[in-house]
Amino acid sequence: MPTSATKRPGIGGRTLGLIISTTLLFAVLSLLSQSFLSSYTMFVISRQMAFYVLIALSQAFCLVVGQMSLAVGAIGSLTTIVLGLGLETWNLPAGAAVVLALGVGVLAGLLNGLLITRLKIDSFIVTLSMMFIYMGLRSGISGGSPYKVPESFRAVGQGSLLGIPYVFLLVAVLLGLVGFMFRSTVFGRRLLATGGNAAAARLSGIETGRMVVWAHVLSGAFAALAAVLWASKLGSAAPETGDDWLIVSFAVAIIGGTGLNGGVISGLGIFMGSAIFMLIKHGLVEVKANPYYANSFLGLLILLAIVIDRVRQIYSDKQKGT
Amino acid sequence: MKKSIAVGVVVGLAAAVIVVNVTRKKTSVEPIAWYGMMPHPYKTEVRSGVERFEQETGVRVLKVVGQQWTQDNENVNVEALSTKGHKAFSIYPGDPAGANALFAQLRGRGQIVVSYGAEPDLPTPVAFTVATDIKAAAMTAAERLIEMMGGRGRILNVLELVTDINTKKRDDGIREVVARYPGVSIIQTISDMTQVSEATVKIQSALAARMDEIDGIITTGYNPTIAAASVLTEWHRDPKRKQIRFIGIDTGETVLQAIRDGSIDATIAQNPPGHGYISCLLLQRLLDGWTPARDYQFIDAGIVVVTRDNVDSYAAEVRKITDGIAADLNAKYLRPPQ
Repeated sequence: MPTSATKRPGIGGRTLGLIISTTLLFAVLSLLSQSFLSSYTMFVISRQMAFYVLIALSQAFCLVVGQMSLAVGAIGSLTTIVLGLGLETWNLPAGAAVVLALGVGVLAGLLNGLLITRLKIDSFIVTLSMMFIYMGLRSGISGGSPYKVPESFRAVGQGSLLGIPYVFLLVAVLLGLVGFMFRSTVFGRRLLATGGNAAAARLSGIETGRMVVWAHVLSGAFAALAAVLWASKLGSAAPETGDDWLIVSFAVAIIGGTGLNGGVISGLGIFMGSAIFMLIKHGLVEVKANPYYANSFLGLLILLAIVIDRVRQIYSDKQKGT
Repeated sequence: MKKSIAVGVVVGLAAAVIVVNVTRKKTSVEPIAWYGMMPHPYKTEVRSGVERFEQETGVRVLKVVGQQWTQDNENVNVEALSTKGHKAFSIYPGDPAGANALFAQLRGRGQIVVSYGAEPDLPTPVAFTVATDIKAAAMTAAERLIEMMGGRGRILNVLELVTDINTKKRDDGIREVVARYPGVSIIQTISDMTQVSEATVKIQSALAARMDEIDGIITTGYNPTIAAASVLTEWHRDPKRKQIRFIGIDTGETVLQAIRDGSIDATIAQNPPGHGYISCLLLQRLLDGWTPARDYQFIDAGIVVVTRDNVDSYAAEVRKITDGIAADLNAKYLRPPQ
């Protein structure tokens, strides 16, 4: 039941623009560097992209219902601590520690969602407060020291199937499911409707408050999954996990076409957004960009990618007008 | 009516506060306060040195850990501590320039300060800094790496925070050493990594981009060292890949494990417990009436190169350095009370 303000996802013009930008970046880097197409480069790029996708999804699920979460990184951090406690301190089997950690992420998201909807407080304020609470908990519990994880726990984060990282395969499947959910399920369309036009959605009988809670629960789940996989990749449950996720979560989600005002999301767009973000970061190292100006270059290139996409969109709208 | 109740409540509370404060017994505060910026593995190790000082001397130290690694946060917390009557402070300078203002403020109140962990900008109001000589440590690391590389090859130089003045000193030290070896060059310098995740992405990208050219990697910060240990452990798991020599700084468990299993070669262990122990010992001496031998003195807390040979015993070597400095403290750095 999409409202007039919502858009059904798919390979729309915007996503197509992102695919073109990604292809262009890929081609330029292939020409610039002989080692770019090596299996190792593809491995590290695709695996890092997978993490960016998860972090972006954690933010995108809030954005799509017209909310935001400043606590995505803090939830990831808290999840990491619980995972570390489970594995090192309580000696739980890996599966149980992962379930416990993911549960904490889901609970943290649920708490955010309930506070926002029941007390009718803006998501910015709630998630800002919760961010500090979760970060305080992680520092207080861990004392800042990382936890050891067993060798076997690293299999998913560091392993691959035919050279493709397990993490990437897992995220590709998840992204497919997310796309399917928004495209073909009532639940997904209700989320879109809630973000597209909350008043219209309410009039259509959608419990928008419940949708907001669900969005935060899923956001917490994705943040927790990213944290668990990161610990598996790093081979250690480090408390600082998530400290740099906030910017990444917004950047990748927005580059990927997620609407800041809600109601718009594209799984493929987020995938392409993560590819652009990662390729630019990798490209700056490839071309030996001056490290003291690296962040400026990164910002400029992201801006350029968005401007190119915007120009294409304006041109496309004009074409339709004529 | 409501107004009278409100006034009554306020007057009652004010009276209670006055009575409690007048009748309260004066509790003595710890003579020394140690301030850690925020929960962090480095601070945990420094704190262990402070605790050792307490056990050995019986002098109580208030140990306070802040919430953020910023000078602002440190100022707020230390200023609050300053009003409680502690006579001496062991403080990490969050910002080498900004910390001097805080140190001057404490000194103005008659409180003694020793800086630990990093050197504030000079001139400084403090008489002592107890820290690693970071340029010397970076030079030692570079020498060891080049030795492991057989005196020739190309190095990936991984720095941590570009905004940290110490990063420049480390970079200068590495370049000075590399300049001594005609067969050695720095193929690329990467930096600006405040998190392990950021460091991992950058190191992996550099390795992917120049895998055939890099012979050795040097990292001179905590985050890149943890990241490089993890990246190289994964890299060396494939026996077909070339051996890349590595030396880092700091001793997270990921790093030590990678040394044990041969995935990386070495790391530089600093002496955080010594930073805590010696700074408190100095403060105690100064409170006892000893005076500094000179206006300002930097005490190098020392380093140990950790390899597979001493990965499980290096802590004893670090402790020996601390004990040596402590034994020489009076003769080398102080004048006896008049």
